Order: sequence, then C-alpha cells, then structure tokens
Amino acid sequence: MSSYYLFQDSKKCIGCLSCEVACKSNKALSAGPKLCQIIAIGPKFVGGLPRTAFTFMPCFHCENPWCVAACPTGAMQRRAADGIVFVEQSLCVGCKTCMSACPWGAPQWNQETGKVVKCDYCMERVDAGLKPACATVCTTHCLHFGRPEEVPQVRRQRYAQAMSTFE
Amino acid sequence: MTTPVCEVTRAIADLSQALASGRLTHPRSRHHAEELLKLLEDVSWGRGGTAHYAAMLDMAQTLIAEAPDDASRETGQQVLAALTQYQEVFTSHIDTCICPTGECVKLAPAPCQIACPAGIDVPSYLTLIGLGRDAEAVELIREDNPFPWVCGLVCTNPCEFMCVRGRMDESISIKYLKGFAAERAMSEGSYRNPEKAPDNGRKVCIVGAGPAGMTAAYFLALKGYRVTIFEALPVPGGMMMVGIPRYRLPREVIDREAEMIERLGVEIRFNTRFGKDVTFEQLRSEGFEAFLLAIGAHEAYKMLVRGEDDFPQVINAVQFLRRVALGDRRAPGGRIAVIGGGNVAIDAARTCIRLGCEQVTIVYRRTRSEMPAHEEEIIQAEEEGVIFSYLTVPKEIVGYNGKVTALQCLRAELGRPDEKGRRRPVAVEGSEHLLDVDAVIPAIGQTVDSECLQSVAQLKWSKRDTILANNITMATSVDGVFAAGDVVSGPATVVEAIGGGKKAAEAIDRYLQGIPQPEMPPVPVRRRRLECIELPASTKMILARPHMLLLNNDRRRITFQQVELGYPENAAREEARRCLRCDICRRCGLCVEICRDKMGVDALQLGYLDFDHPTATDFRKTAERCIGCGACAANCPNQAMVMRDQDGERIVSLCGTTLNRLKLQFCEACGAVIGPSRYRDFIAKRLKALSLPGDNRALCIDCARKSSAERQTDILPPP
Repeated sequence: MSSYYLFQDSKKCIGCLSCEVACKSNKALSAGPKLCQIIAIGPKFVGGLPRTAFTFMPCFHCENPWCVAACPTGAMQRRAADGIVFVEQSLCVGCKTCMSACPWGAPQWNQETGKVVKCDYCMERVDAGLKPACATVCTTHCLHFGRPEEVPQVRRQRYAQAMSTFE
Repeated sequence: MTTPVCEVTRAIADLSQALASGRLTHPRSRHHAEELLKLLEDVSWGRGGTAHYAAMLDMAQTLIAEAPDDASRETGQQVLAALTQYQEVFTSHIDTCICPTGECVKLAPAPCQIACPAGIDVPSYLTLIGLGRDAEAVELIREDNPFPWVCGLVCTNPCEFMCVRGRMDESISIKYLKGFAAERAMSEGSYRNPEKAPDNGRKVCIVGAGPAGMTAAYFLALKGYRVTIFEALPVPGGMMMVGIPRYRLPREVIDREAEMIERLGVEIRFNTRFGKDVTFEQLRSEGFEAFLLAIGAHEAYKMLVRGEDDFPQVINAVQFLRRVALGDRRAPGGRIAVIGGGNVAIDAARTCIRLGCEQVTIVYRRTRSEMPAHEEEIIQAEEEGVIFSYLTVPKEIVGYNGKVTALQCLRAELGRPDEKGRRRPVAVEGSEHLLDVDAVIPAIGQTVDSECLQSVAQLKWSKRDTILANNITMATSVDGVFAAGDVVSGPATVVEAIGGGKKAAEAIDRYLQGIPQPEMPPVPVRRRRLECIELPASTKMILARPHMLLLNNDRRRITFQQVELGYPENAAREEARRCLRCDICRRCGLCVEICRDKMGVDALQLGYLDFDHPTATDFRKTAERCIGCGACAANCPNQAMVMRDQDGERIVSLCGTTLNRLKLQFCEACGAVIGPSRYRDFIAKRLKALSLPGDNRALCIDCARKSSAERQTDILPPP
C-alpha cells in the first residue's frame, strides 16, 4: 500500500458525486474515464426500509500492483518514495493491459489521448502539500486523506458505541 | 540539406509554447489564444474551411488589440506575422488538404500524387476503380487532368516509380488503370464534362492545340472564359497526334478527348499558323486579353555529320512521324537507319516496320542500359524485329547520284561518365564501317521552331532556345503572355505539358481577375477521403501486377493497331485493390515500433514503410503473433491502422487490409467485450507471480469495480 490512506466513511456518504466531479475537472477529463467512482449498492430493504450504500472506489495503490506487472512499456509505475501508482503518459501506448489486469477496474481509458489514465491521488497536489481533489469537496466530509495514523478511527468508535450500553 | 518546415506546424508549436509557458496570465488573452490554437489545429488536421484564414487573422488581431500586457501582445503579433508572411501556406493547407512537408500528419501526401506533374489524386481514383466506379474515377482525374485516356496509354508514369507498393513487389499499374477507367466510361457514355461556370465574356487566345494548350483551354473554359485555340495542323493533339504513333495511341482517343474540351465551348481554328495566318497584333485588336504560347518543340536537332543535307532520303524523325500520322503511309525505303536511343527513335523504327521496311536498324552510341527509351518500348521493338546497333556512332551519310546508299559509322567504347553521370561514348580509331541503307532517320532530339513567335516582341528566350517563363505562373517577359509545354521545358512528356497548361490556366485566371500570382509552386489537391477497400491479408499479398496482353506480333508488324490490348475487367479491379493507400498511411512506422519495441510482440512485418531501406513485408505474418491489444491503432495519427470489434471478433486492419482476426471473450457478468483470449493470456503471463483476488471470474472493468465495491460494502449497520 502507499504511505497514504484515503478513507471513506460510507455511513456518512450520500452519493452526491462531488468527488467524481472534482476529480474529473482537476484532471480535465472528458466523458468516459472515472478515476474515482461512487458505486451505489442497493437499494435493499433493511428493517422494512429501502437502504442504499455508496462505496467510493478510487485506486487502492496496491503494494504489489497487478497493473504495474502487466504493463509492457513501463508506463505504469509505483513511486518508490510513497508508493503512489501512476501512469507516465509519455510511455503509455494504449494497449490497455493494465485495465484488463486490475481486479478493481481502477485504470481507465481516455478516448481523447488514446492512453490510460488513473487515480494518482493527485500527485502534484499531494507533493504541494494539498489533498487530492476528491477529498477537498466532499459535502458530508466523509472522505479523509492522510497518513494512515492520521485518519479518524470512526469505525472503531462507532462499533464500540453500538456494542456498549449503559443499560 | 535542410528539412522543409511547415509554417502551420511551426505556428501551432509557437502558440502552444506560449500558452504552456504561463506568460499569458490574463484569462481573456488565454481564451483568445486557445481559440486561435483551435483554428490553427483545424487547418493542420484538414478541418479548415473557407472562413478559417480570415477568422485566424481576426482572432490574432483581437488578441493584440485587447492585450492587457506585453506577453499577450507579443503572442498575437507572432501569430499575425506568421499568418501574413505565409498566407499562401495557410490557404493552401485549407484549399488542398495537402501539407507537402507531411508535418501535418493528416495532410501528408501520397508519393504518387506528389510525383505526378498534373498532381492527380491517384489513391482516390484507384479506390474508385477498385470499387467499379469508373465514371467517378474519370471525373476525379479530370479535376486535374483533362486527358485521362491519353495519359492512360502513353504517360511516362512517374507515379509508378514512386509507388510504395514497388518496395514490396511491383508498383501498381497506375497508368493503365487510368486508361481502363477512361475507356470504360467513354464506352458507357458516362465520360462527362464537369459543370462549367457562367460565361464571363473575356477572351483568351491559346496558340497550339497540344496537351499544354488544350489543358489550359479546358480549365479556362470551365472558369467561364471564351477560349480560342490557333493550331497550325489540321488535327488536334499536337505531338500527341503527330509525334506518338497510332499503335501506341489511337487517333480516336485524342479525337474523343479533344472533343470533350471543344464541347465546353473551346474553339479550335485548324490550319492557322500563328505569326503567318494570324499575327499577335491582329489578335490583340480582336479583343484577346491574355495569350498562351504552347507551340511545342517540333523542330529536329541536326546531327552535324557530312551528307546530312545532301539527300532527300534523310528525313528527321519529327517530320517522318508527322508525315505518317497525317496519312502518308509510304515506306521511306527498304533498309533504314534510325539514329538515337530515345522514345522517338523507337517510335520511328517501329513505324518503319509497319510501313513495310525490310530492315530497320537503330544506331545508338551507348549500350542498351543507357538508352533513355522505356524498357517496354525497347522490348516491343525487339520483338517486332528492329535491329539494334549499340556503341555505334554515325560519321557520314554516303550516297550516289542523289540517293543514300550507306551510313558510315564508327564503333565506340564507353568512357568516363559526364556531368549527368552517363558514360560518354568514345570512338574507336580506325573502326569505320559501312551500314548499307536506303534512308536515314535522325532522332536525336527536338527543339522549338521559334520562327512563328518572332512577331511577339520582347519575348525573352533561354540559351536552349526555349521561352523564358516563370515556372510557377508560366508568365513570360511580355505582359499578358504566358507559355507552357515543350516550348518552355524543351522536349518533355505529355503529362508535364498538362501540368504546365494547368499552371498557366490558373495564372491567366488570376491575371485577368487582378488576383496576385502565387509565389509557391502549386500543391496538388486531395480530392477525396475515401474509405479503404476491405481485403484479407493473403489476398493483398497474393495479387500481382497483371501482364499486359499484346497484339500478336505478325499483326503488329503490318498494321498500326493498338499494341497493348489492355486488362480484362477483373484484372483491373484486382490491380486497383493492391494499392496501399498512401494518402491515408503516411508510413511513419510508429505502429511497427510500438508493437516491436514497446509491446515486445513484434507482430507487424511492414518493411515497405522504410523508404531508404525497405525490408521484407508480409501482411499475413501479423496473424501469427498479434494479440489484438490495439496499441498500434491507438497511436496511428491517421487512423490507417484500425482495430474494431465486430460480430464476436476483434479485427486489426491497415488501410483496409485485414491483418488479424481474433475471437472475442466477454464479461461473465454483463457480456461486455473483454478482449480475445490471446490478449488475456499475454496479461496472465505477465502476472504469473500475482494471484488474482476475488472469485477469479472474467469481468470487464466496470463489473470488476462494481463487484469489488459490493464485496467491501455491507448495507446492514454494524451490530
């Protein structure tokens, strides 16, 4: 994994897709590629009520990325310093092997350039001390970006709260 | 040698750099500059329209006028300077859809079209012929050349020497396919004239009804001018009629194509010699506003040997061929010596055979490999029984009682090469010998008969006795007088004369309308962007240039019937389909490079792409290794290499040639295409060390994302 952690508190997410919009506009992408995507699961009936879950699917920046192994040209790279997996555009020839290799469908096709494009945690922004575009616009503040140790432990808290009872 | 630079590409690079540098800080300037860049890119990618040039000028001026800072102003001025200084380059990109340097990749020209002096869009008409659309092919050819049939039979086909297919096996039979289409269209009655502009009432005079004069007449008539041609001979066609023998170019061919030009309202006054029957001043007073001198080169060079002027049986080839063409079919004698090694010598010799001369010898001072005549012509002459006496130099014409009895010759050896690189013949001392002949036909070259042009004062002449004319506008030293064809170039080819006539027509039109003349040589026009004809790789490889059927040799020796009988229809259609469509594929070799060096697949064996060092080409090889990844297609700037999924197959094709077909696999969840199994094997092999998470189903990327999102999410709240 990279040395960063992008955490989505899916309990808070309302599926407004602001993250997707901010991502696309930051990278000036046309229709088609979605570097991060909110996948709506459901609705399912829970306790007689319809419930939908929204899962934020960026690139996971694997420790041992399938895409990097699959890429024949060396365009898909893993940054040694912080483990960010990114595409070196000048080397990509558009063979799409990374797209087929990724089990999570993270690398996306950019029809305009005929090359692959993927989530790189907005590398330039991160290097400049900023957060990735998606995490800056989240309406419900459900996206958290940072070092793993900085990310809030909401799930543990919530679980503890649910478990414990004063009664 | 400096490589030519395309000013459009340069302007785009400069402006992009200015935008990327971040100097244009003001949003309005940036917006203007970006809009300007879009317009420039339109021009470079063949999307420019008639309004583009004005719009670019306007946008550059706006950028300057509204500039809030120096950076914006300088950027605007830089573009404006390029636009004004190289206006012709920009407008020519828009009008012709051809970038002669090939730097605008979508506008890169086909080598055959560049080689053609008339600039015909060869790949487009070959495609039309391949599709069986002969009339359209002829229509397309006639946008650049009003003599497709004549050229289809006698053109020197410079296009075929540049043909890229020639690097693979043999060049496409471009010349004859043109003749095939014209013959068919004429026979079907679908050989038609294009729409003509309304009469503008202005009179143009053309001297000479040869290929240059008739071509200029055709283009001027189409523009609405009233054209009158003055012709000294009683027939149209000039050298095409009286220089080229009938067995190569039947009279009907010239008559029919000349008639098409006459039908546009062009008047030809036959038997009217300029300078004698009509004078320059007289015609000027008749209201002719512009003149085109296209009188050709009908005067023969002298051999300058003893006896040349002493006998009536010494008749130069130009005169001889003219006499025969005009109907005098008497043999000049029993035994003939034709002197020279060019096409005219061969024409004269083969004509003698047909007139019944018993022994016809071509006397040439070098060897067969140095002969300037076409190889096919030489072979056909040999077949017909013409004797060739190589390394023989005529020294004297010997006669008795006013009759030629022999030609005294010397044997020669080849010495050191001259400035043109041809080895000079050196006479062997004491090798004099006699060749018994009854007549001698010198065919050692032609020059202009300038006598008729003496009345045009101030006309400047070159040292070679040709008219001095600007080679772009064909304008002479006299205002309103233009010249084209052999009278300018010296003896050349039909298609060069046609090219000259075309340039002259354009210049005369500009002259009469008061439009400035071009400074840049004309750029050929891309007439169509036609879809490629689909063909399997094996067919594209196996098809071979058809052999030309010839008239049987006995009939060739006794009649003037056309020797080349033409291709049968299916042979012509197949031949047209061999074309590699260089109007689309600019042979940059990026596909091969990526497949071999980047992907490591090395499936493309396209050696013909390399101009200087062509290696083997085999389209069939691709199917052996190609994995169907599509990297070649994704990087092809011209969509020459295409990958598409169709009817359960992935098809990779280059200019319509199917290189590979692979059965597709589909997503197990949604049925979307996930590529052929060979492609998936390629990836799996690279991933061998990594195990796949999840249920290992073959999923498309959307479903992969969705299914992993589902795996991670639990809708139920934590307990």
